[in-house]
Amino acid sequence: MTAPTLLRMTAPLREDFEIAYHDVGDASRPPALALVAGIHGDELNGIFVLARLANFLNSVAAGSQPEHTLRERVIVVPAVNVLGVNVRNRRWPFDDTDINCMFPGYDAGETTQRIAHAVFELTRQARYRIDIHSSNLDFEEMPQVRLYEPQPAERETARLFGLPAIVELHTQNVFTTTINYSWRNDPGENFVIQAGHAGALQPPICEQLFRSLVAFLQRAGILHGTGVSSDDDAVHYFAPNQTVPLISEHAGLFISHQEVGRWLQAGDVIGHVFDGYSGALRHEVHAPVSGLLSGLRRQPLLFEGDLIARIQCRHAVVDGIEIHLSDQGQ
Amino acid sequence: MQITQDSVITLELPYREQLQIWRTTFDSGLEPGRRGPTVAIVAGIHGDELEGLYVCHRLAGWLEQLNATRPEALLGRVELYPALNPLGIDTLQRFVPVFDTDLNRSFPGHPKGLLPQRLTDAVMRQLTGAALVIDIHASNVFLREIPQVRISEDFQDTLVPLAREMNIDVIWLHGAITVLEATIAHSLNSRGVPCLVVEMGVGMRITPAFTAQLMAGILRVWRRLGVFAADLAVPELTHEPVVADNSNVHYLNAATSGLFVPEVDHWTSVARGQRLGSIVSPHEGRVLSEVRSPVDGLLFTLREYPVVYEGSLMARIMALDPAMTSGRGAT
Repeated sequence: MTAPTLLRMTAPLREDFEIAYHDVGDASRPPALALVAGIHGDELNGIFVLARLANFLNSVAAGSQPEHTLRERVIVVPAVNVLGVNVRNRRWPFDDTDINCMFPGYDAGETTQRIAHAVFELTRQARYRIDIHSSNLDFEEMPQVRLYEPQPAERETARLFGLPAIVELHTQNVFTTTINYSWRNDPGENFVIQAGHAGALQPPICEQLFRSLVAFLQRAGILHGTGVSSDDDAVHYFAPNQTVPLISEHAGLFISHQEVGRWLQAGDVIGHVFDGYSGALRHEVHAPVSGLLSGLRRQPLLFEGDLIARIQCRHAVVDGIEIHLSDQGQ
Repeated sequence: MQITQDSVITLELPYREQLQIWRTTFDSGLEPGRRGPTVAIVAGIHGDELEGLYVCHRLAGWLEQLNATRPEALLGRVELYPALNPLGIDTLQRFVPVFDTDLNRSFPGHPKGLLPQRLTDAVMRQLTGAALVIDIHASNVFLREIPQVRISEDFQDTLVPLAREMNIDVIWLHGAITVLEATIAHSLNSRGVPCLVVEMGVGMRITPAFTAQLMAGILRVWRRLGVFAADLAVPELTHEPVVADNSNVHYLNAATSGLFVPEVDHWTSVARGQRLGSIVSPHEGRVLSEVRSPVDGLLFTLREYPVVYEGSLMARIMALDPAMTSGRGAT
């Protein structure tokens, strides 16, 4: 069977390339859900999870999973930046463009504008739209739903994933060219999921993400059946003023024994910064507030002004710095 | 005249080294009330754009010569920042290394933010109060640009009169774009510090002729602002800009992938239907696509890097009113 493609383009010296997707369910109806991953070629968790989810949904649609019924149409794009995946490049490899800075795209424009346009046109008609990311190579995020200036319905729907954290953030200027931002102009609900870190395929995170997506499908009425849905763990909702980024004032080698997803008390040790030449301890990094450790640095080489951790507080925080990790693409 | 060099910010790198942004300053030393305005050149925001570095070198040489011959002619203060992204230039990376961040999408910055934000915050603090900042870019490695100033329509009333004396060939007015609000130009202009964005040449190269052209304009504008004594001789203006905007700029994007081979020179008048080049296949002798001008106009952007993907920009042409066409395009 030939896979449907949302775009087919020539390449300078290779074969033509295409962006394939899965279209599962009644193709005569508008899709209820569109899932996109791999806009960044090094974010592998989302690619793997969406490929596995498409495999599952295709088997349901084929009648191979009699305990499940697919009630609505679902679009799944496991990887947008196909060439980037193959050459392990986060951006579009030819001109180093971040595809998530090209939305809503333009069908007569630059290559990445054309890619963005095709992805956007395919997905915009869905009732629910989900863009999956895995941070970057240096920083790990616990699986979480990200909302950017959401509608009330999106706040409620975000709980259907059953992921432990829902984090609401302001949209910064540099993120007005993302697919998530562009989706907002159409009726429907939009979600970003962050899970793990780039450059790795993390099985426990993929398992959690897979179960949360199936739970979402079931709870949203798209998939009927039982047996795969996520556990109903406590879901914590964090408003924009409940996020504290911890930024380093010291450079060196950073070492941490913490894991994302843990609850910290103010003063708990997050890690240590050592001088890479003398070996001396330069700084002990403490949690400035109590809260959920939603993100943690995995790259040991630490600059002054580098992000060490992100903590979600139960209460509003005054003077939180609005940092933007533009290399996270969200 | 006082000539000094200092760094406006120092940040630690992981292993023993530091990241600093260096500035060279030429100051009249006159007391407040008698002294002229402060002006600045910033360059090297993108580590692969080198034209601005060479402009800084030439301006420094010109000012050093002035110091030797007529130092009292400097009434104000000139600050040169040849490399806002020094680590990018030293490692041949367009963005801030490791952070993989476009520094020109990180303004106005924050003193306690991430490293790119700390860099931009430090620069903004230094430039606040300047009478004019000129931010020099050099396109990218793909496209060659004729010397031009790009101006957001939000600030055209202030900036267009300055740009007209910059000895450039094109003034390009563009609409407000939200994502560009994180640029140095928008951040300065929105705070009342006039900032002109110059684009010229091509990435990873320098074009001495463009440098000389732009220098004449910069010195002329600085003199007009009172940075120099009114009777100080500066090079004559040799270029008068035409004005482009979204209504008259045409983009030529590649219809297919291959090798783009231009058949015309950069910055020439072209006629509607004229063949500008072709896209060919390295695998076979045939031409895959002919590239023709959609309008009568001026070819002010031309692709330098031959490999194209479907959609790659090959040229930009500014359409001209037929009555205006004759005599334009000479350099």
